[in-house]
Amino acid sequence: MRARRPDRADVVERDGVKVAYEVFGHDGPGLLLIPAAPIGHARSWKGLVPFLSRHSTVVTVDPRGNGPSDRPAGSAAYGPGEMVADQLAVLDAVGLTRAVVVAHCHAVPWALRLAAENADRVSGVVAIAPAIALARRDQHWAEPTERWAEEVDDPTGWGMCNRHFWRQDYPAWPRFFFDQLLPEPHSTKQYEDAVSWALETDPETMIAEREGRDAPRNRDAAEALCRSIRCPTLVIHGTEDRCQPVAIGQQLAELTGGTLAVLEGAGHLPQGREPVKVNRLIKEFVDSIEGEPMRGGVWTRGLDRPKRALYLSSPIGLGHARRDVAVVKELKRLRPELEVDWLAQHPVTSVLEAEGERIHPASAWLANESAHMASESCEHDLHCFQALRRMDEILVANFMVFQEVVEEGLYDLVIGDEAWDVDHFWHENPELKRGDHVWMTDFVGYLPMPDGGEHEAFLTADYNAEMIEHIARYPRIRDAAIFVGNPDDIVPDTFGGDLPGIRSWTEAHFAFSGYITGFTPPDPDEIPAIRAELGYHDDEQVCIVAVGGSGVGRALLEKVIAAYPLAKRLTPELRMVVVTGPRIDPGSLPSLPSDPGLEVRGYVDRLYRHLSVCDLAVVQGGLTTTMELAAAKRPFLYFPLRHHFEQNFHVRHRLDRYGAGRCMDYTTSDPDVIAAAIADHIGDTVAHRDVETDGAARAARLIAELV
Amino acid sequence: MRAVAADAEGSFTRDGVTVHYARHGSGTPTVVLLPTWSLVHSRHWKFQVPYLARHFTVLTFDGRGSGRSDRPASPASYSAAEFAADALAVMDATETERAVLVSVSRGALWSLQLCAEHPERVAGAIFIAPTVPFALPPLERVVLQRFDEVVEDPAGWEKYNAHHWKADYRDFVEFFAGRMFTEPHSTKQHEDAVGWALETDPATLIATQYGLDHCTPQAIGRLAAATRCPVLVIHGSDDAVRIHAQGASLAERTGGTLVTLEGSGHFPHTRDPVRVNLLIRQFVEGVGR
Repeated sequence: MRARRPDRADVVERDGVKVAYEVFGHDGPGLLLIPAAPIGHARSWKGLVPFLSRHSTVVTVDPRGNGPSDRPAGSAAYGPGEMVADQLAVLDAVGLTRAVVVAHCHAVPWALRLAAENADRVSGVVAIAPAIALARRDQHWAEPTERWAEEVDDPTGWGMCNRHFWRQDYPAWPRFFFDQLLPEPHSTKQYEDAVSWALETDPETMIAEREGRDAPRNRDAAEALCRSIRCPTLVIHGTEDRCQPVAIGQQLAELTGGTLAVLEGAGHLPQGREPVKVNRLIKEFVDSIEGEPMRGGVWTRGLDRPKRALYLSSPIGLGHARRDVAVVKELKRLRPELEVDWLAQHPVTSVLEAEGERIHPASAWLANESAHMASESCEHDLHCFQALRRMDEILVANFMVFQEVVEEGLYDLVIGDEAWDVDHFWHENPELKRGDHVWMTDFVGYLPMPDGGEHEAFLTADYNAEMIEHIARYPRIRDAAIFVGNPDDIVPDTFGGDLPGIRSWTEAHFAFSGYITGFTPPDPDEIPAIRAELGYHDDEQVCIVAVGGSGVGRALLEKVIAAYPLAKRLTPELRMVVVTGPRIDPGSLPSLPSDPGLEVRGYVDRLYRHLSVCDLAVVQGGLTTTMELAAAKRPFLYFPLRHHFEQNFHVRHRLDRYGAGRCMDYTTSDPDVIAAAIADHIGDTVAHRDVETDGAARAARLIAELV
Repeated sequence: MRAVAADAEGSFTRDGVTVHYARHGSGTPTVVLLPTWSLVHSRHWKFQVPYLARHFTVLTFDGRGSGRSDRPASPASYSAAEFAADALAVMDATETERAVLVSVSRGALWSLQLCAEHPERVAGAIFIAPTVPFALPPLERVVLQRFDEVVEDPAGWEKYNAHHWKADYRDFVEFFAGRMFTEPHSTKQHEDAVGWALETDPATLIATQYGLDHCTPQAIGRLAAATRCPVLVIHGSDDAVRIHAQGASLAERTGGTLVTLEGSGHFPHTRDPVRVNLLIRQFVEGVGR
């Protein structure tokens, strides 16, 4: 899911060629983002758009040749003036009289020409990894430049930049090229993105643009273009850029009298690989041109400030909200003077509002992670590792919101319960850390699903390695790390490759709070009264079927409903209560002949109370619900979502340790299998290990040490 | 030891009154840190000068009646117009076309005069804890202050009194410094203010008091209304010399930005120098662009 949808998407047409653009936001100075097309397109700005559009009117353009724009044939269509005229047409169509233009690589000369020829329209130019003939490029470009039009037999490496080769095996070029352009370790997602965007165009378009490219042909022409620029410029260039050496950026900054920001260790795609830094550089540049208005307001003397914490609760699944509220209650008992604000999104906010907690107004700017996860799922299937990877732009967008909030300087403490964005980007940008930071999680280590093969094992190991390197290099970023569970809950696996075992590493780097249920399960002697209150009778065997708050659960509900007739025959006292949750309309489920033993309900208030007194529950493999059932000592069947490594490995391991629940395989469980399992387990007396009830207090004690 | 030495110092004499000024730094634009009431001299800017001088040209001068400047006897020498004319003379002497003015407390009166009557010389103005007659001073001051009457054993604001100044100037200075710094742990700022105040004398201060008779609400209101340049007002919520509503009113009348310093007293530039320095720099960079 995109972190930010455009407010307007349209095309301009020049000489029959359509060029697409998108507009984000409508306040503040104009910002035109031009990617290096056709090998890239406008989605390459995804890490910048959500942040910048909160401060500027952002227009992204898909230059002709890729994305939703036309791919005209022939090099003349990409020749001198065409790209510049497209950009100008977009500015006109949007009605932007002036804009700061941000361009990447060989789009930089287009931006410079736009600025030179329309000085009244361009108030500044940001050149990222500029490609312009101001300095000699690396030696590896010599052969492809010289032999571009030759028929070279089986070229390799940079030699693949060859018109004949592209016609034979174009995909091999972006696969090689972007590997070279992302020398930073742990860049798998940026690499996949760049290659996939390059594959959205075709070799003929690539050849036409390359042969028609509107760029100064030599140093003199490039220098003349630079010297004609009157507006402020900012050049952002990585020292490890193998496409365009940093010397070009240095020359460009010097000749235009601009500012040079060198990114040490960065490659050719800093907008993708270092989005936080690039966002901040661009905003600072725009502010310096447009003049950020002096803001009034209140500043409070340091000693007069209340102690404040900002709490971030992962919105992926509802479970975190309840446990985090429980932790805060305990924390306030220990530190009554502490004020807690929440940076939170739906559905966490609904729990917080009910509890009367204070939600920071910037929460409204957050892109919704829960909706992203729903968009990533289909029939009882959620590849949660890949879904997290594809959530990259949402994490950047939300981190930028978070960072603006903490930079006001009011928080002594940041508590992130699986706030991936904060933990990741503070390690990537350690100079941005504000306040003490508590990291909480209930699992450590990405694990590959078996059917993902070697590649998925490589990817999960790479993500784990990055996390381990983060912690090793910057132990000061996590002031406390709390594992919500016990050492025995940790899976016996390794992080992959040559990496250490997950358990030994986690024990060395975390404190353990035990499990945090967020509620106290009823004593056995309280159960009859609760059952009576909820309308469950002694002569019936109550089976609750629930799938949590997301829309992922429909397929499981349908299967369990289909199992009802047989289950009822096997267990005549069966009363099945199907709870659809807020995202599934109960009326949309297939209806069986009306039967007093089967009911379908939408939202059920305090579902955990029903679960804690039922005779059997049928649920997904999420940690919160299954552990609630374990804590209440209920028998239950759980179906981990397919491809969900956390449910299939981490949660299952933990439940096995408690001896709780029976794991069911969704794919092989037909209604008959489910009915038999219901009959087997309903009303079971379970004697598994007790779930601790002091987790919230233990976590709060660990946090309170920092206050 | 001073954190930085002046890059240039000088003096001029206007109508027989010699005024001493200093320049620090050479950046653009130029910032004039105006004198306040002659109770203290230009050293009260000591936390601003080193920082601002790394970015801008900073001009300071000892207000007539304080520091190394002369202490003329007549009240007429201490009118707002005279202080404003001194500021222009400093700018002329340093060949400064235009500057951002920063004032504290009573300095607001000369600053407003320059903003309204010499707009071509003023790029912007910052008013810290301004003394402007748009709202009553703190209640205890309204009730107790009787400047000309003879008060036996004065207490509190009764000490703001010409007879008491002559009788026990030090006692007044200690009292007044106590009202300037209501923040806990302000001993050094308090000592500094007392020390600077003891460098002038009660007769001079009495003259400065009568010199302001012309600063009526109507007159200052006209100056505020005529001010067109960007304005920033910084006022502490706990200012016990000039209340926050005075600053808020000035911000409103000049269309300026108001920054409230929660918990701060009357001299926040000495008590919370970091925040005030950052605010000044941000404002100056905004108007200097």
